[in-house]
Amino acid sequence: MDKQSIFDAVQQIFRDNFDDEELVITRETCADDIEDWDSLEQINLLTAMEKKFGLKFKLEDVRGLENVGDLLDLIERLTA
Amino acid sequence: MNSYTLADITPGMTESFTVTVTEAMMDAFYAVSGDDSPIHMDADYAAGRGYPGRVVYGMLGASFFSTLAGVYLPGEHCLLHSVEARFAKPVFIGDTLTVTGRVTEVNDTFGEITIKAVIENQNGQKVTRGLIKAGVAK
Repeated sequence: MDKQSIFDAVQQIFRDNFDDEELVITRETCADDIEDWDSLEQINLLTAMEKKFGLKFKLEDVRGLENVGDLLDLIERLTA
Repeated sequence: MNSYTLADITPGMTESFTVTVTEAMMDAFYAVSGDDSPIHMDADYAAGRGYPGRVVYGMLGASFFSTLAGVYLPGEHCLLHSVEARFAKPVFIGDTLTVTGRVTEVNDTFGEITIKAVIENQNGQKVTRGLIKAGVAK
């Protein structure tokens, strides 16, 4: 998948997860920017991305994620 | 009580238990929730809406999903993350319910399992369906 396709899919996962079709993410979006993005939602987001992209994250992959950009980079690396 | 750890659990594992809904359970649920909707409190009102008796609180039935996860699957090491419940058919006092859960996913990275759950009445009708996500201590 190219970068734009990955971004679009991640954007939709965020919208589905937070029940907000207007939600717009950027590479800089982090948990402080979305009120309901807590540790439980982090698991929901990541497991949804595992399913979408056919991935299996390791704990060390996801431990240091700070924003959407980190997440996109990780997915790009694992799907390359 | 079961004490499955994450390492013990595999997709397809199933646990089940049976419970009969009593008037005392309805009284206790009202005491906790304060939900005094007449469909749950007044048999005549419920009859007027076409039901054979007071309709059991949907969330009382769904509370058995808590039991399913916390006592049976995985049991002791459970920390409930989420429950989605769908109330397909009404439940009535005296109904005997069979609560069954089947593990559909095990996520080792996040220590979380997904359980598809169903509650059937004594006539084999699926009255409630649920999707449970639970953290499991390793």
